[in-house]
Amino acid sequence: MRKGLIAAGIAVLVAAAFVTAGLAKTEVLAAPAKTEVLAAPAKTCDVSVGLAVPATGPAASIGQEQLHWAEFSLAAFNAAHKTKYKMVVGDTQLPNVAAAIGVARQFASNKKIVGVVGPAGSQEVQAFGPSMRSTAYVSMSATRDDLTNGQRPTFFRVVGSDDTQGAVDARYAIRTLKADKVVVINDGSSYSVGLAARFANVAHILGASVDLDEITQQETDFSALATKIESDVDLVFLPWQLATQAQTFAQQMKAKGKNAIIFGSDGLFTSDFAIEGAYVSAFARDIHGVKGTAALIKAYEKKYGKFGTFGPPTYVAMQVVLDAIDRACQAGAATRKSVLAQVKKTNLKKTILGQGIRFDANGDVEGGVFFIYRIASGKYQLVFPTK
Amino acid sequence: MAGERPHPDVPTPRIGADEWVSREQEHREGRGGLTGRALSLIERIPPATWLVVFIAIAAVLPLLMNTGDLNRYGLNVALFALLALGLNVVVGWAGLLDLGYVAFFGIGAYTYALLSSSHCFTETTCGVHWPGWATIPIAIATAALVGFLVGLPSRRLSGDYLAIVTLFFAQLFLTVAAQGDRVSALGLTSGVNLTGGPNGVPDVDPIRIFLIRPTTVEAYYYFTVVALVIVATALWLLIRSRTGRAWTSLREDALAAELMGMPVNSLKLLAFSIGAAIAGLAGAILAAEQTGVFPGNFNLAILITIYAMVILGGAGSMAGVVLGAIVITVVFEVLSPTTSPEKLSLLFYGVILVALLVKIRPWWRLAFVLGGTVVLGYAVRVIAHAVSASSTEGEVVSGGFVGDVVELLVVTPAQPGNWPKYAYIALIVALLALTRLDGWRRTLLIPPTLLLAAFVWETLLVQQPTVTRFILFGALLVAMMTARPQGLLGKLRVEIV
Amino acid sequence: MDWTKFFSVLIDGIQLGSVYALIALGYTMVYGILKLLNFAHGDIYMIGAFIGFGVLTFFGGPLSPDLPLAPLLILMFAIAMIGSGFLGVAVERFAYRPLRNAPRIAPLISALGVAFFLENSALLLFGSQYRQYNGFELIGTGGFYIGSVKITWITVLVVSSAASLMVALILLVSRTKLGKAMRATSFDQEAAAMMGIDVDRVIVATFFIGSALAGAAGVMAGLAYSSIFHFMGFTAGLKGFAAAVVGGIGSIPGAMAGGLLIGLAESFTTGYMNGTWKDAVTFSILVLIMLFRPTGLFGKPEIKKV
Repeated sequence: MRKGLIAAGIAVLVAAAFVTAGLAKTEVLAAPAKTEVLAAPAKTCDVSVGLAVPATGPAASIGQEQLHWAEFSLAAFNAAHKTKYKMVVGDTQLPNVAAAIGVARQFASNKKIVGVVGPAGSQEVQAFGPSMRSTAYVSMSATRDDLTNGQRPTFFRVVGSDDTQGAVDARYAIRTLKADKVVVINDGSSYSVGLAARFANVAHILGASVDLDEITQQETDFSALATKIESDVDLVFLPWQLATQAQTFAQQMKAKGKNAIIFGSDGLFTSDFAIEGAYVSAFARDIHGVKGTAALIKAYEKKYGKFGTFGPPTYVAMQVVLDAIDRACQAGAATRKSVLAQVKKTNLKKTILGQGIRFDANGDVEGGVFFIYRIASGKYQLVFPTK
Repeated sequence: MAGERPHPDVPTPRIGADEWVSREQEHREGRGGLTGRALSLIERIPPATWLVVFIAIAAVLPLLMNTGDLNRYGLNVALFALLALGLNVVVGWAGLLDLGYVAFFGIGAYTYALLSSSHCFTETTCGVHWPGWATIPIAIATAALVGFLVGLPSRRLSGDYLAIVTLFFAQLFLTVAAQGDRVSALGLTSGVNLTGGPNGVPDVDPIRIFLIRPTTVEAYYYFTVVALVIVATALWLLIRSRTGRAWTSLREDALAAELMGMPVNSLKLLAFSIGAAIAGLAGAILAAEQTGVFPGNFNLAILITIYAMVILGGAGSMAGVVLGAIVITVVFEVLSPTTSPEKLSLLFYGVILVALLVKIRPWWRLAFVLGGTVVLGYAVRVIAHAVSASSTEGEVVSGGFVGDVVELLVVTPAQPGNWPKYAYIALIVALLALTRLDGWRRTLLIPPTLLLAAFVWETLLVQQPTVTRFILFGALLVAMMTARPQGLLGKLRVEIV
Repeated sequence: MDWTKFFSVLIDGIQLGSVYALIALGYTMVYGILKLLNFAHGDIYMIGAFIGFGVLTFFGGPLSPDLPLAPLLILMFAIAMIGSGFLGVAVERFAYRPLRNAPRIAPLISALGVAFFLENSALLLFGSQYRQYNGFELIGTGGFYIGSVKITWITVLVVSSAASLMVALILLVSRTKLGKAMRATSFDQEAAAMMGIDVDRVIVATFFIGSALAGAAGVMAGLAYSSIFHFMGFTAGLKGFAAAVVGGIGSIPGAMAGGLLIGLAESFTTGYMNGTWKDAVTFSILVLIMLFRPTGLFGKPEIKKV
């Protein structure tokens, strides 16, 4: 019996070694690096920024990029202004809203936190609301249109709203791609439902026939759904948050011999979604093309590696909050109230996104725009707006 | 098993139930040593004293802790203690295995949230804002009613089948909660947003019961503690009543109870409903205090947490399950990302050291273990340093004296790569092997296991405390079942099959 | 009636059903012998999927494998099955065997503990991001047509390997000495022990076979549905468990039929109604069957001896 046990133990070890050795090659998650704090203080306040990102979970690839850009932004700001602001990271585990609410309450009870960057998802913004009644929170990727309906006086975002995104996407799909028959599938999240409805509305007005369907964010088996897409459908619009789901679904469709164009929203603009010939919209342009960002990109890539479009808006959101904290601090004390007042007055002339940041009365960024890319031989090609 | 030494955990030969019962007193007196005497002493304290001590500590707790996150301990403990007391009625007293308990918690929360929030059922029907004195009883009643309905099959289904039905009921509830944002009857009517779907119900009103209007964490804490004391008192009276005694006999031997003329079915249903009602109350408080409900609040992890509390404390013992709730919630909150890794490390090494000091006898064996650990650790570190200098250049998370010692004995690579993961698996294998070995083999294996544990802790576990706590939970449940299935304060009993 | 769609959905259902049936077999075999609900079974399936993925990545990954397809697939299946088989045996040895004589509730709680432990260990070791098998890159999106219904090679692979494993299991149980011992033990453990059957060895064999089948199911799910993650075992385990219960827990043909039934119910719900409700449909079927026929479709009514 004992020999058998030892043999079993060894076998388990060997199998485990195989697994971890194999998985090592696809390692993505790194432990969050410690944020750098620089010496040589100017007038500075001992306060922190809360950062709410999905650092783990199915959306971790987005969350890690946002986390890195936030760290990068903080270090850059502290170095430039000789300040010592700190950052507290909360993991919202998108799509687990209960985790997001835990983060919101943790931030609310931490008196050192006077401003928040995030959260990333639209449903998380709704969950943050009650805890953030007096704290400014600036999202870098929540695009659902009715978040800025005037009910959330402390909410701001540095990206455009889905009102714009849905319309831009639908117009491009129907007018430019000449799609007559469209299927719109939402993933049940509040972001997805809103965007799907907006897209369907505009597409319908433009004369396309629109079918609606839905999935859940826990789904992994898409074969029956792919079967359900009829073969004369021209385009499938996927306003999803989890790119791995979209990747699997698109592969299943291809395997079933369905040739409809796949059109994804900003949630799919990550390396996890790489379907040849698919279209993806994004709330920020690829900053490689923006003037004056080359040195910054080089410094970032040296430290963290490649990135997509989710990071740079985080950099800017962090900038907005830090800037407000600094102004509040210089004018007296950085409290939640004074920081909120300063965030409202934000006026960044030029950011790495290629545009300035000012907020309207509801917290929306003025002049928010969307971009559409096509995936061709593994690269993103800007197709809208054409310069 | 041929040729194997009898393991102390497995009574061989198995003694009969009658003999076991007749030797009860012997078991009691047989408890020697410090722990045995302490336990006997604890048993003699009357329940009223327990209650007074508990209330006294609970009342001053907010004064001792800062308002912010430390009070989360208090509120979470109170809420989970409430849940554990409810589950104890079903599992501990009536002996029914209810794996759908978390659904009743959810039903209470959703009922409260839907009746007092700005939630929109349809485009036009928005914002039902009933006050708490109406919604809390409705939430409790709804949970109890659903508990009654789910308990109905328990008349026919017993044991495993009941576990199956309740487990799937919980899953059904979660599905409805997570997908119920566009419910329509067979696609004929337009969609009704019943549960808010995956986004849950945000913006839930605070509780309003006439003049009682808690809004702060402290207020909710006191509110929950008062609810807990009321529920505990009611349950204490209940278990001493006719019904309580009937439940006990039902749990011990359902068939005998039935033959004695007890209404077994109604007793089972009553236990189910009371458990569900308490969970419903806890749910309503959660919804109001959290100002929202989300499907993620009611997942399997929560169910297992509540079970862990009941099992750890001792199913059937009210003081036990409350103790279980306190211990597990505190461990849970300590092992959260808000605690600094240094403190966690101190705790980790402290617990290991204390366990070694208490468990290993005689002294020369302990000396061998500690000495062996030091010598082996130092040797391995020197060798590792000679092989690759970078393998000892990493930093340990703990500071101070403990940090220095760990730094001296444990290999801490600057770039550990995948080694922590292999080490984690090796550690599990080593720990399992320890449970099977005894005598000098065990003593010999302890030092390398300790070093392995320290290595895994420094390079892997301490960086992910949220995962670590769940791993510990799982291991705790298994260990508890094999070593002390009756829990800390529970009584060992024989099951008559 | 659109027959192409009907048959396509049917085939999707059979493919999904084969995976569920393999998981259900493990539940049913263990229950048949130990009367134990092994809640950790779903997580053994998850570990199987990860072992298969580890082997795949070790040999170059799905995009540029170092080995030809056939040996690679055989290796993936073999190592995953052996690995999860041993894991199942270890779970039995350390979490269930010490509780053979304990109260009925003890092994159930212990099983929940093991499930939780395995899930979170996987989270610790493999991270929370989804891993992609990319089965369609590895095997290709090709297939053949029957009429206008396309059947992909992956479907062929999944269904045929599941079927051959089931045939092998049936032969093992009905034709070999071990199978005879298993049936005897399941019928009456004590009597079997008196007849000279090493009950412990039979139980170990049962756990090994059941877990190996789950491991194979994990690799199949990875190939067919691509995404694997640490929590996949819970839902799949529940479905496999539901399949075992619907078929009549303890009955091997029941588990196969139950698996197919649940797979078909899910794919038809998605194909003709709304996919988000498939879990609800599955569990409603289950609760109804439990209420009206507690022993399942193939189960024999239990006579309780006191």
